[in-house]
Amino acid sequence: MSRHEDEPDAAAAMARRQPVRLRSLAGVMLKVGATGFGMGMVGVLQQEAVTRRAWLRQEEFADGLALANLLPGPIAVDAAVYVGYKLRGWAGATVCLLALLIPAFAIMLGLSIAYLRYGQVPQLHGVFRGLNAAVVALVLAVAYRVGKSTLKSAPQVALAAMALGAALLHADPMTLVLACGVIGALLLIPRPKVTP
Amino acid sequence: MRLLLVFAKIGAVVFGGGFVMIPFIQREVVQHYGWLTQQQFVDAIALGQITPGPILISATFVGYKVQGMAGAVVATLAVFLPSFLMTVVAARHLPRLRRNPRAAGFLRGVLPAVVAMLVMAALTIGRATLWFDWRLLLLACAALALLVRWKVDAVYVVIGAGLAGFLLEH
Repeated sequence: MSRHEDEPDAAAAMARRQPVRLRSLAGVMLKVGATGFGMGMVGVLQQEAVTRRAWLRQEEFADGLALANLLPGPIAVDAAVYVGYKLRGWAGATVCLLALLIPAFAIMLGLSIAYLRYGQVPQLHGVFRGLNAAVVALVLAVAYRVGKSTLKSAPQVALAAMALGAALLHADPMTLVLACGVIGALLLIPRPKVTP
Repeated sequence: MRLLLVFAKIGAVVFGGGFVMIPFIQREVVQHYGWLTQQQFVDAIALGQITPGPILISATFVGYKVQGMAGAVVATLAVFLPSFLMTVVAARHLPRLRRNPRAAGFLRGVLPAVVAMLVMAALTIGRATLWFDWRLLLLACAALALLVRWKVDAVYVVIGAGLAGFLLEH
């Protein structure tokens, strides 16, 4: 794994713009995937790609985050794919996605096998009931966080209430989300600001 | 094959991060196809939480349960493929996309729906277990307070809740 190259000056490194080796890209993404949890990966990714290695400028990275926010998929994964694409095109994007997923995939596979074999052990029953409570709390915490940043206007609150009502009546979640998106694209267009 | 389609579909609509997948996976995998029981599904999410990397990696669990090793690979790749393709394509048109008011409007509509879906997911998961045990309900409230009020890292909350559950049982 390539360590931090001894670049005296990040700006000089940027100016030269030597292509980043796919191998170092893979190394960094393996690290991000193995040490970041959920959204925490974004922090690790930024530290590695922007602060330590100066592969991207901060503004470029922020653009990638904005994009990741706009698109479906976990933000950290989208951001990593963006970094890979920016640096090495399709090959870079593919390497980044796979390297990022390998640690999580391996661990999850191990846990799945263990769970399916030992999950029914009575001693573990309590553990899973506790985990159950934690998952409910986690989901509500995410709802709170997303809600706080998005339910800022009456139409959006109304839309959320309507969606919840429809969900309680067993509407298909996928249709519901896309329908709300279309309503938004038609009715909730932000007013043009002076500074976009 | 069906695994591929189901997870690609889920991967295409998880706006706003991995947790949004919960109602979708629940709908398809638990209610529609019956690949997992409700309990296994909730446990899969908890396992995804204590695994480094994206939460969406819970797809690996479902895939493994359904079709073993091959299923795990297929489900994992399928769930990340749509956003991968969209990111690469969109990265080229980024400046234009950012200035597009329709795209912003779409997201403004999607996110309230996402909030509703998340509340719904919590209700469904909670109804199955917490309703019948006030100690678990209390544990969930405590976990929520730790997460929201004190911003404790999710990994610690999950591990702590698992331990608490173990102690409650003994």
